[in-house]
Amino acid sequence: MIRAEGITKYYGAGKNRFPVLKEISLSVEEGDFTVILGASGSGKSTLLNVLSGLERPEGGRICYGETDITAFSDRELTEFRKENVGFIFQQYYLLPNMNVDQNVKMGADLAGNRNYGDIIDAVGLGEKKRQYPSELSGGEQQRVSVARALAKRPRFLFLDEPTGALDEETGRQVLDYIVRLQKEYGFTIVMVTHNLNIAEMAKTVIRMNSGRISDIHTNEIRKTAYEIGW
Amino acid sequence: MVVGIKDAAKLTGISVIMGCAVLICTMFLNYYFDMNLIEDQLASEQEIIMYHAQEATVRVICLVAGGCLLATSVVMLFFYIKHYIDTHKKELGILKAIGYGSWKIAIHFWVFGVSVFLGAAAGFGGAFLLMPWFYALQNKDHFLPEVLLRFHPEVFALLVILPTAAFSALAVCYACIKLKRPVMLLLKENFQVLERKSRKAEGMVRGEKRERTQKTEASFVENLKRSTLRSKKTLVFFIVFASFCFSAMTQMSFSMKDLSSEMMGAMMLLIGLTLACVTLLLAITTVIRGNTRTIAMMQVFGYSQKECSQALLGGYRPVSYIGFALGTIYQYGLLRVMVDVVFRDVEGVPVYEFDVPVMLVSLVTFAIFYEAVMYYYTEKIKGISMKEIMLEG
Repeated sequence: MIRAEGITKYYGAGKNRFPVLKEISLSVEEGDFTVILGASGSGKSTLLNVLSGLERPEGGRICYGETDITAFSDRELTEFRKENVGFIFQQYYLLPNMNVDQNVKMGADLAGNRNYGDIIDAVGLGEKKRQYPSELSGGEQQRVSVARALAKRPRFLFLDEPTGALDEETGRQVLDYIVRLQKEYGFTIVMVTHNLNIAEMAKTVIRMNSGRISDIHTNEIRKTAYEIGW
Repeated sequence: MVVGIKDAAKLTGISVIMGCAVLICTMFLNYYFDMNLIEDQLASEQEIIMYHAQEATVRVICLVAGGCLLATSVVMLFFYIKHYIDTHKKELGILKAIGYGSWKIAIHFWVFGVSVFLGAAAGFGGAFLLMPWFYALQNKDHFLPEVLLRFHPEVFALLVILPTAAFSALAVCYACIKLKRPVMLLLKENFQVLERKSRKAEGMVRGEKRERTQKTEASFVENLKRSTLRSKKTLVFFIVFASFCFSAMTQMSFSMKDLSSEMMGAMMLLIGLTLACVTLLLAITTVIRGNTRTIAMMQVFGYSQKECSQALLGGYRPVSYIGFALGTIYQYGLLRVMVDVVFRDVEGVPVYEFDVPVMLVSLVTFAIFYEAVMYYYTEKIKGISMKEIMLEG
């Protein structure tokens, strides 16, 4: 379980210092699919970065079970991310000079995962292992980043607008892959999006507005990637 | 304006190398011209032998030191222009897309010649400050009639004006060649990989299949190390050059102490260390800057600072020691030629043997220097965060 208590985060310095997260408290159950929903500038990406240990909050605590990661040193945080966390970003951030196989290996090597080829097959890129990112479509590149994140067998998968740069069909396809893989591997998903429809796929939906949580609700009926609107 | 003076100012490496090249060449060339004026005053055979030996020295030094440094400056200039085009490819692509021709854009690259002018002018000025002492040193035993220091406009034209003009022209021509490619290749991400793809289509990438299979078997860090080395071959050259300079100049400076003078040795040491430091720092900075996104992603995924540094910088370590070995061979060869060929007929030239202790001291110092630079950059890697990469878009 991820537990955030009274998280505050500021950007800027001096007169330009402004709060991005204001006393945020929430919890995410293990194995859950949580969506953080909000408009641009609401602080949702910052919250994701703080929850995942990419950024440090100025105040509050983030606990994974009984472990308070806000007390970790940089080295301990890196080790924590290595052991537990996977990331998928809107811009993919694949390494351009490395092919699909080598990009996925980036994640796989950290977990000593030698069978990462299965994940490449699972995201439907088995035939394109030797291709470079520039030789792939946007959807394929995002599927590589999904495979790269999952090849390290994370317990928690953080996604920042994973379909933001994709067209509808490819977006649905990528979301479908992620949900199917979650069922297979059982990891926890925390996804940031501004797309209300995607929130219908999640179990828990956290709405953010101006650095605060405005609403948390649970979906009784969860839709699949092909049932939601776009 | 596409390229500004600010961009040219970033070419410190070229300025420093040109400065060193012009400093050495000005001292020797000016001395050569002044020495020519006393040719008709030579009376004894000893004077004539000494005169010809010094004439040969000037030729060797100007050709070897000046030539090597000039060639390195040209490589560095090309590297910077290519790097500039790669990092500003979107802006340049937009300019081309709205109708600016390659030549019209490339013409602005003349400003890169400014860095050459700055270095050359500093080297020329520095040489004139050192020359009174240098002239006295060259003729300390009074084997030759007194050689008076004069200003030769042709030396200024040859070593300051000509390189500036030539480098400006080279910069424009090279930029024009580099910009003559489809607009989409400039506008799209992963420019280099796209280029590789089009080369592949033309059947120019040989043996890539075999190479790809080999790469896959290695670990990610190992693959990245190889890919980093391969992606910027010019940087490999610079790192070899930096260690070459360190090795050759430090060892030569100690040998010079016996063969010439302590001051000459100190000057050589200073030039060697300056060239090695500037080149190595610039090369490593370029590696780090060119891979910030990779470093950030590695850190996000949980790779330690040490692993990031090993993947990106580790490949250059063996290369730097190859440079050191080449520098050792070069300095031995050069001094051997000076003693056995150039000063063959001159009496009183000390015996020259390869100095193993000096080589060992130089090697240990180099290892400490290199590892300190690597440690500094490993620490610098810590400062790279995913936040700034995300803000870049």
